[in-house]
Amino acid sequence: MSVLTERRPLGDTAKAWALNAPAITVITLLVAYPIGYSFYVSLQRNNLKRPKAKRFIGLDNYKALFSDDAFLSALKVSAVFVVVVLGLTVVLALILALVLNERFRGRGLLLSLALLPWAMPGVVNGLMWRTIFDAKTGALNGLMLQLGLIDSYQAWLTSSTGAFLFTALAQVWNTLPFSVIILLAGLSTIPSELYDAATVDRAGAFRRFTQVTVPWLLHPLLIVLILETMNAFRAFDTIYVLTGGGPGDATTTIALLDVQTVLTFTDFGLGSAYAWVITAITLIISVGYIGLLYRKGNFEV
Amino acid sequence: MEFNRRQVLKLAGLGLTATATPGLLAACSNGKPAAGDGSVKFEGWDYEATLVQQNLDKFTQASNIKVNYTPITSAQYVQKVVAEFTGGGGPDALYVYDDSLAAWVEGEYLQPIDGLPGVDEVYSSIFPGNAEAMTYQGKRYGLPYYTDSNCLIYNAEILSKAGFSKPPASLEELESQAAKIKSMGLLEHPIGLPAQLSDTWWAWVWGLVFASGGDLFDNQQAPIMNTTDTVTKDVLTWLQNAANKSKVLDPASLQLLPVPVDNAMKANRYAFTIGARYALRDYNDASKSKAAGKMKMALVPSLDGKVHGTISNTRMYGLAKDTEVKDDAFKLLTYLGGLDANKQPNTAKFWFQERGLGFAYKAMAKDADVLASLKKFADPAIYAHLAEIARPRNVLGVAWYTEFETEMHKVVQGVLSNQVQPSAAVASLAQSAETLKKKYS
Amino acid sequence: MSTVVQVPLRYRIPWKKIALYVLAIAFGLYLVLPFYWIVAMSFMHEADALSVPPHWVPVNPTLENYLGFVNPNSAQELVGGRAVSETPYSLRNSLVVASATAVLNLVLATFAAYSFSRLKFKGSQVLLVLYLLTRMVPGIAIIIPFYLLMRQFGLLDTYLALILSYTTFALPITIWILKDFFRSVPRELEEAARVDRCGWFRTMWSVFLPVAAPGLVAAAVFAFMTAWNEFMFALFLTSTKAAKTIPVVAANFATDFNTQFTVMAAAGVLAVVPPLVLALLFQRKLVQGMAAGSVKG
Repeated sequence: MSVLTERRPLGDTAKAWALNAPAITVITLLVAYPIGYSFYVSLQRNNLKRPKAKRFIGLDNYKALFSDDAFLSALKVSAVFVVVVLGLTVVLALILALVLNERFRGRGLLLSLALLPWAMPGVVNGLMWRTIFDAKTGALNGLMLQLGLIDSYQAWLTSSTGAFLFTALAQVWNTLPFSVIILLAGLSTIPSELYDAATVDRAGAFRRFTQVTVPWLLHPLLIVLILETMNAFRAFDTIYVLTGGGPGDATTTIALLDVQTVLTFTDFGLGSAYAWVITAITLIISVGYIGLLYRKGNFEV
Repeated sequence: MEFNRRQVLKLAGLGLTATATPGLLAACSNGKPAAGDGSVKFEGWDYEATLVQQNLDKFTQASNIKVNYTPITSAQYVQKVVAEFTGGGGPDALYVYDDSLAAWVEGEYLQPIDGLPGVDEVYSSIFPGNAEAMTYQGKRYGLPYYTDSNCLIYNAEILSKAGFSKPPASLEELESQAAKIKSMGLLEHPIGLPAQLSDTWWAWVWGLVFASGGDLFDNQQAPIMNTTDTVTKDVLTWLQNAANKSKVLDPASLQLLPVPVDNAMKANRYAFTIGARYALRDYNDASKSKAAGKMKMALVPSLDGKVHGTISNTRMYGLAKDTEVKDDAFKLLTYLGGLDANKQPNTAKFWFQERGLGFAYKAMAKDADVLASLKKFADPAIYAHLAEIARPRNVLGVAWYTEFETEMHKVVQGVLSNQVQPSAAVASLAQSAETLKKKYS
Repeated sequence: MSTVVQVPLRYRIPWKKIALYVLAIAFGLYLVLPFYWIVAMSFMHEADALSVPPHWVPVNPTLENYLGFVNPNSAQELVGGRAVSETPYSLRNSLVVASATAVLNLVLATFAAYSFSRLKFKGSQVLLVLYLLTRMVPGIAIIIPFYLLMRQFGLLDTYLALILSYTTFALPITIWILKDFFRSVPRELEEAARVDRCGWFRTMWSVFLPVAAPGLVAAAVFAFMTAWNEFMFALFLTSTKAAKTIPVVAANFATDFNTQFTVMAAAGVLAVVPPLVLALLFQRKLVQGMAAGSVKG
């Protein structure tokens, strides 16, 4: 390529790295060091309030995880949370994106509404759902009572299943828009000829969906899956405000436990080990998604 | 124009500086005086920050010592202070919870104040329980901000409607009074407690155990709740029944922080709660509460109906270890928590008069002004009785206290929501204490 | 939809239409009702907001909750006073931080993304994955070292600390969004500009970037939202109203000693409006911008 210059031409590789230099510099300066440092700390016994007891202990923090009840329980809660949130998000986002991809009156309005939750900080989202789920004055109680679905106001967030499900629902509401936009963007680029061809082949709506829409959507779906898995694993703000992890430890996800370990218990060593386990899990899952789609022959970075 | 490395870097540089234009940076300046200007950096949780600032202004006027005060959200106070001391930029003087004292001394954030002017005098004029709570391994670390003890708070009007003229003395009585109120349709759930996880400590659990003469730990900080002392288990059993069998205890408690409980009490929506004495001041303030005049305090009910004790807490002012303005910082400490030139605890009185915060100074209990304003919201005899029988948690002297308290919240929530049996609960509490002990040894 | 090409021979019940509208209405309600509730509450008096059964429409609408932010009255000073008085500042701070993050991100990401879309170079795949990897480490792991770093630079409680951290959070994803979008911009445009003897920067500025505008908008909105919504770093890196952002102040509402539901609701509404307006302004470009990127790699 000679697009760029006649004098003192640089090779593509050099140019590319030069173009990346600003981003790399910022990331290296600001994140690489903290990331490296946190891994180093995860190999330490390091409780901030006991500076004298600090020492290098190799993989002991990681080994201890296998018998760490709090960690194992949080991991289980997180796993279910990710499955529920991810499942609901993907299904709802896909349906909503399919609806938005049609032409109908009020489409613009619905698209605007679909962006609404994105504009809501997680903390505010938690506060909002707290007022809705409130046991004494909540809107959900009021609505269900007026519809005759319940006889008296219920404390929705006090049973472990209830708290878990309602927290997941609040989280889904908040994360839905991003997935909708990506999926809708994917749908909007499907050439209509593909559908026409399928229609000529007398393919039913369902077959058109599985044979045209889904393959075309694999890449956006991959992005949604990776990003939403990451998000669900580290979901903190909404849960923190809504239940604080309770009742008991029913909504104590690994992210919540990690924040508590590092910030409340000031156990920076163990907390860093938790964080690296989260990293490893997200990484493995992401690689899994990519591998899955690779096999379908539809993926290139 | 050519495209080469220098060009790219220059442009990248432009991009960076363009976004950090002077206008933006001007807004970045936070108006804080730079370190080393001689002012005292003072931090506290954000309870009534405006009043604190007013009080500090008075100090600056009188002493000519500048104070740079930062209030921090109470829910994150401990975390932020730890972060600041870890980073080496902590305050010179600060509020300290008795809960965090041991950890903060171990972390070398605080310095002892033994031998500094007036300290001995302060310690000899306060209640022994408060002195104990501010002492760690034989050294003194604080001057008292406020102290309070837990009591049963009840709505006398609701009780009299249900035909009760006296508050319950035993837990059994508490449950039966509440059950009567419930069955008469006065209230669906007569008892409310703040049992939300994000609250820092649940005084009422300790209050219930201490009221029945029990404890969770012995004096060597060894857990006894699963061995020699059965009170904790019995109290948990009572809680489980009250929440799940007689259903007099509001299940929504699991979601309630202290403020919503306060609001419910002020709106006549609960007949009973267990809380700090100073809460009564607000409850009985007609401008803030519909229940004003009806709210009374009593000793925390016990398993056997006899009087054993209650829990107290102490909030103090501490002195940072690495402060460069020790003299001025200690003058501030003395102004806030100590005695003034006339041997009067000036700020402690200020807080009692303004907000009803409990005092550590014994003499204040007999002070005419104090008594006069106390009578407006509580029975001075019961108030004094509570102060007498109150004692601090004996487990405050361990660095892992916060972890244990947090674990206890989860366990008690488990009991309240009927997921955990009381016997399993005490076993798991003991187990947690042992694990933490080992971890911290 | 354009796919149904046959003209129906006899009248059929338009099941598809019905299903479409039912779904659209259901989703619309699901998306708007929760938010409607806090909007409604924000115009109520506290007593009405807490009434059982609820008033779905404010009975005695009031602006008191909003006016209180500008000019707290004596009652509000007692009730959650600090969070109330800090709300306007935090909105300003959030706006500055989020806008600056969006701009800085765009500058940095445009260069990087251009290289991935136009140049074949060694290590490109690795670099792309590395960018993304920095986002897989949870924030909590790096918050303490990051805090210490910002202390070293003397940036605690400043906008810059937040802008820098959010830029690093958003950068990997914006690079991914942009590189995909840039690929969809036809190379011929640049070739043509070159024939016209435009320099590289002119080509970029007056030909390439305008065509890539939807992608840039999508990336900018994404970065803006990332910065607007973040809580934990803001909590630690700021301590006064000079830099506190809206999520931090909102969290104060959740934990402060005295909080009114209605004031909290009003603050929540204010926290949503600016980014929502932004998203709505750029709605069309937003979807277009994501479109190119998300389909093909």
